Amino acid sequence: MASSRVITQPLSRRQLLKGGAALGLGSAAALGLRPSWADPWGQTSTYAKGIEEGPEVSLAIRRESLPIAGQEAHPISINGGSPGPLIRLREGQDAVLRVTNLLDEPTSIHWHGLILPPGMDGVPGISFAGIAPGETFTYRFPVRQNGTYWYHSHSGLQEQLGHAGPLIIDAAEREPFRYDREHVLLLTDWTFEEPMAVFRNLKTAEGYYNFQERTVADFFADVRERGFAATAEQRGMWARMRMSSRDIADVTGSTYTYLINGHSPEENWTALFRAGERIRLRIINGSAMSYFDVRIPGLRMTVVAADGQPVQPVPVDEFRIAVAETYDVLVAPENDTAYTLFAESMDRSGYARATLAPREGMTAELPERRRIADRGMEAMGAHGMAGMDHSTMEGMDHSGIGGMDHSTMEGMDHSGMGGMDHSSMEGMDRSNMPGMDHSNRPGISGEQDRIAAGGMLAAGAAQPGSRYDQAGIGIDPDERRVLVYRDLKAFTPWPDRREPGRELELHLTGNMERYMWSFDGRKFSEVSGPIHFAKDERLRLILINDTMMEHPIHLHGMWMELENGQGELIPRKHTLNVKPGERVSALITADAVGSWAFHCHLLYHMDAGMFRVVEVS
Amino acid sequence: MRKTLLALLLGLTATTAFAAGEHGGSHDATGEADIDRTIRFEAGDMWFAPEGLDIAPGETLRFEITNTGHLEHEFVIGDAEAQEAHRRMMLEMGGSHGHGEHGGHDMAEGAHGGQMPSVTIAPGETAVLVWTAPANVDDLEYACNIPGHYEAGMSGTIEFQG
Repeated sequence: MASSRVITQPLSRRQLLKGGAALGLGSAAALGLRPSWADPWGQTSTYAKGIEEGPEVSLAIRRESLPIAGQEAHPISINGGSPGPLIRLREGQDAVLRVTNLLDEPTSIHWHGLILPPGMDGVPGISFAGIAPGETFTYRFPVRQNGTYWYHSHSGLQEQLGHAGPLIIDAAEREPFRYDREHVLLLTDWTFEEPMAVFRNLKTAEGYYNFQERTVADFFADVRERGFAATAEQRGMWARMRMSSRDIADVTGSTYTYLINGHSPEENWTALFRAGERIRLRIINGSAMSYFDVRIPGLRMTVVAADGQPVQPVPVDEFRIAVAETYDVLVAPENDTAYTLFAESMDRSGYARATLAPREGMTAELPERRRIADRGMEAMGAHGMAGMDHSTMEGMDHSGIGGMDHSTMEGMDHSGMGGMDHSSMEGMDRSNMPGMDHSNRPGISGEQDRIAAGGMLAAGAAQPGSRYDQAGIGIDPDERRVLVYRDLKAFTPWPDRREPGRELELHLTGNMERYMWSFDGRKFSEVSGPIHFAKDERLRLILINDTMMEHPIHLHGMWMELENGQGELIPRKHTLNVKPGERVSALITADAVGSWAFHCHLLYHMDAGMFRVVEVS
Repeated sequence: MRKTLLALLLGLTATTAFAAGEHGGSHDATGEADIDRTIRFEAGDMWFAPEGLDIAPGETLRFEITNTGHLEHEFVIGDAEAQEAHRRMMLEMGGSHGHGEHGGHDMAEGAHGGQMPSVTIAPGETAVLVWTAPANVDDLEYACNIPGHYEAGMSGTIEFQG
């Protein structure tokens, strides 16, 4: 044996720093960045609206005149900025967050995605009384998680005025990925109208902000393509649904300016990097109403966390971010050049934009914008089958039609669909459905095989009627690699491995024309009491979207383990996007005694009544 | 020029690389006496420790790689270009490694149809890879090219000294 040496090299801070130096990592000062925070692994952090470091933070809420997109605006500010500062906590800390209300109306802050005592959750009327004008409320809670989250007002429509900000919790232990630098990107939708005026407009005419309705010209184009009968029939069907096939978003770029860290596309917020670095982008959708499709032409993104929770890395070219979701992605620009971060609103009525660049003042090209999509038949999902000529249904996705009683479907109104039974696939007679394509149902027979005693699926299995392998409307999966819910996979199983003891089914319901949104056909003002979870029970929540729009459903106080078919490794989330006609399920451990909000995170849907209280006792 | 160099490197490594898993090194083609150094690696989620390696040209190394993570990992030696090609191939294959059982003798297909010394390690297991560094080469990388793993941080550089 010549010179055999055994080298063991435990990871040390020095080596990590050395590794960073080898990658050409410059100091924050050299790049002219705000070196306000650096973690043991040497990355720097920038956020355009300032940083407040925990565990003790004081926040002052005001309404003031500040320019937005270069115009005079009157947003709600937090410590002088709108949206608010980045709050940075550390796992294991005891956070003390003092919020002073300098508005002339009550306010609140909800810490979105945090597991904390019910009195600290910040929902007026449920967690606490709210913060009266002139008063200071002190939130105190132990920080027992890490990742990318955000905070926002839970009072009225204040969130629409910029009353929101990022909330980052640094991990106590090493995270399952490495990076040299990070940037936080908060997406918001700003309107120069008063939020109450927006809401009144929606109540008066649902299509108020939708200038992309199908026109007479579209009608004749359709007639040329599909023939008169089919076109007329489809128009009639959408009319019976009190919907338009172009209802992708109900508030659009016609009033919204889409912002990244408070900056309009023209202001072009710029995040700096050095070529060769691996950069973590913490992307938060803090919008009131807008879903975005995010991509960086020329760079592949690797998704490493969803809703603050680490997931097995997924390389993608684009991802859709629902309202209130967060995604962490890594990018590694090799070249000394600028890249555009492009966040196109789902309805294609506008975009938010930022630039990743090695130096200030650089820009890259804006990608070509996509045109608005028409909601196709897949949006009809669980309903809308009445009076249709089945011979025209070639290629439809019927993933949501289990156990339907077609006789009740004539001229349906979405608000009355609560009573439909979607729970069983057995009753379906497939022989009466000529020409239907069932191939889109992910592994349906396999799922039926796994049905456990009592007619329930095994924990982690995807529900029939889920479309976790699809990103949704307006995305062409052949064009580029797009993240889908099925990609999300935890590293290890979550602590509670019990099968669900029961299933709770809720329908997402609405009447577009009257702008009424609800669960099971009843607005929050019409329900008599809370939804009850027994303390420590394990249950399955099934959400069935009977409407034609996406809804981001958020549960406070407890995680939802999204049953996306990944078995033991299902991801856990605080906000679930439910696509039109889709049936989605999540496992919940009801370990948080108290009262919690449960709602659609589209601000005006929540305000219109798509809201419930969950009581754990 | 670069391509010629790469072809030369791959020719060299293909004959000298050897990987053994749980079933030990009984068919070890390289005798103990020929090994200059043993280097212990840790493959975690999603990193290697150490993160860099200095070696001498022509040195014969025995890598003992322990997977302390929750997921399967691989350890592949090659230049950046070949690693990238391997990565692209694995992504197109939908993440399945296609090399059969973990821990076995394993060559990763890289650029130009060449092969790179590689070993796949299941969580909790230790694999051994014996490799003789080429005498004349640019810097190399070691990497895990299972989709997303390299991008999340599973790589390191091999620098040639002297």
